[in-house]
Amino acid sequence: MSIVTRHPSLRWLAPVLATVVAASAGTVIAATTTASAGDTLPRRSAAELLVDVQDARLEGLSGTVVQTADLGLPALPGVGGGAGDSAEFGSLVSGSHTLRVWSDGPDKGRLALLGRYGESDLVRNGSDVWAWSSKTNTAHHVTVPADAGSGERAPELALSPQAAADKALAAIRPTTSVRTDRAAVVAGRSAYQLVLEPKDADTLVGSVRIAIDSETRIPTRVQVFAVGASEPAFEVGFTSFDPTTPPDSVFAFNPPPGATVTEGLAGDRAELPAAGLPALPSDDETGSPDAAKPTVVGEGWSAIVLGTLPTTTETEPGQGPAAGALGSLAAVVDQLPAASGAWGTGRVLRGALFSAIVTDDGRVAAGAVAPEALYEALDTP
Amino acid sequence: MSAADATTDPTRSAAPPVVRRISARFFVSELRLVFRRRRNLAGLLVLASVPVLIAVAVRSTGSGGNEGPDFFGSITQNGLFVALSALTIEITLFLPLAVAVVAGDAVAGEANTGTLRYLLAVPVSRLRLLLVKYAALVVFAFVATFVVSLTGIAIGLALFGGGDVTLLSGTQVGFGAGLLRVVLASLYVGCAMASLAAVGLFVSTLTEQPIGATISVVVFSTASFILDAIPQVSWLHPFLIVHHWAAFGDLFRDPIAWDGVQRGLFVAAAYVVIFLAAAWSRFAAKDVTS
Repeated sequence: MSIVTRHPSLRWLAPVLATVVAASAGTVIAATTTASAGDTLPRRSAAELLVDVQDARLEGLSGTVVQTADLGLPALPGVGGGAGDSAEFGSLVSGSHTLRVWSDGPDKGRLALLGRYGESDLVRNGSDVWAWSSKTNTAHHVTVPADAGSGERAPELALSPQAAADKALAAIRPTTSVRTDRAAVVAGRSAYQLVLEPKDADTLVGSVRIAIDSETRIPTRVQVFAVGASEPAFEVGFTSFDPTTPPDSVFAFNPPPGATVTEGLAGDRAELPAAGLPALPSDDETGSPDAAKPTVVGEGWSAIVLGTLPTTTETEPGQGPAAGALGSLAAVVDQLPAASGAWGTGRVLRGALFSAIVTDDGRVAAGAVAPEALYEALDTP
Repeated sequence: MSAADATTDPTRSAAPPVVRRISARFFVSELRLVFRRRRNLAGLLVLASVPVLIAVAVRSTGSGGNEGPDFFGSITQNGLFVALSALTIEITLFLPLAVAVVAGDAVAGEANTGTLRYLLAVPVSRLRLLLVKYAALVVFAFVATFVVSLTGIAIGLALFGGGDVTLLSGTQVGFGAGLLRVVLASLYVGCAMASLAAVGLFVSTLTEQPIGATISVVVFSTASFILDAIPQVSWLHPFLIVHHWAAFGDLFRDPIAWDGVQRGLFVAAAYVVIFLAAAWSRFAAKDVTS
């Protein structure tokens, strides 16, 4: 005590030291999930990794996934939860969100989107699929064939894994350079990294990095970087990953008494928004006579989709959800900055990874390119 | 306390000096000070009024519906949710305010009324004085939290009854398990409030005006809440004292998500250590001028 009695200001070392210790302890804890592991893993080529991923089979899995989207979108009403407190699936387009996942074979799985004091769940147990939202206290039930999902792999992937990997690489190599990078640590486990870099200079996408768990060969993290960005614009990855079979009770869902329960057939998607799912485009929107089939201009990473918006006036009274979605879309579009040029006038959405234009006469252009490329595409019919 | 003393005195040899040194008298007198003050009791009464208000309002309108603050919709199903609704409402202002009043008073109040110099005449070290003050604050933090949740449980069960508890995940647990989760949530919120009390104790050593210390603590917690809501400073969020406070809601998932609670407890412990150290740095060398 004598030294601090003579120099009282030395006591202030105590809180400073405590801050340093606490901060570094916190950083160490955080670092185990994100740090780079160096090159301790045996080398695998990109093709070998793709084969590994196809061969990977998990008996069971439970983990936590954090998804972060910083797409550079303007803050718009009705888009996103922002602070991460929304438990609705539609809010995933912006901010940071935490999901818990459990899986036990192909026909048992559960996905829980955690919000502040709320939760949305998708539970599949055999032939029963439940969508639950705690905010609205609703449960939606869908019955699917018991074996659906087990054979859902695309036909070309049913080739031998090696052939499929070669085919996949051959398909993307003309537009994309594929390489492996130094190992990463995801959820405290070392992982291989596969890096896809567009060769196209026009696209806003700088690179896509896929981390593949070194033991289970399951992709555990996907990051999408904008050109020249050091932080990913979109990231989804495990923060905890446990490849053991979760208990069966996790998949048991019975709607609690008092909840609103709706029944629907598989594919009856119009009812899913009630359970917090984003509205999926239905035939009402894309199939109406005024909406021409969208066309794609360009190819690879800088492809641009051109289309026209359906007109809201001819929507029949029975199509409530679709009309509502279009109405709110129009309200959102009106808040975007206006632009004009040889292509006409319209509203421009300038994101970190993609841009979109809605012209005043109802044309739409979108792509992973800068708005200038969209202007050109709109100008050349 | 030398070894010779201990051997010559038969009572001390039976009870080692260490035991005598942690006499609870100082602590008990401090508790008496905190819990006999009428303003503190009035504060606890205000805290208890919120769950009563919630329960009566929901009861009189018939149904919670899906509108209203978090957990409101579940109140009519189970009275336990009155306690949770009250906690979610009070955790942003009322609970921090109650803690701030008592914590701001801890040292600055004594300095203000001129009793600090007499307190320092008690033959204990200033460190121990601070620790006793803080221990009393911790007790108050937990009492305040449990006043909210226990009042909520009591009025909720009286007006809406108990039964199985529907968790956020849509699954149900028995009443006992649900009650246990409410108690766990209250303990967690109590820890959060105790961490704010450490900040309050430090601020209280800086000034001789207890009201100034109280306002500073409320400003500190409210500013933390505001920063926590601004996505542009998301890098700062994990370090904010309030960032994980809402994690008590994670106890009502199935299975329980412990991540947020663990991180919240770590942050709370870090704040306690840092601000107690800072309070000691300030107070141990403080010139008592009042």
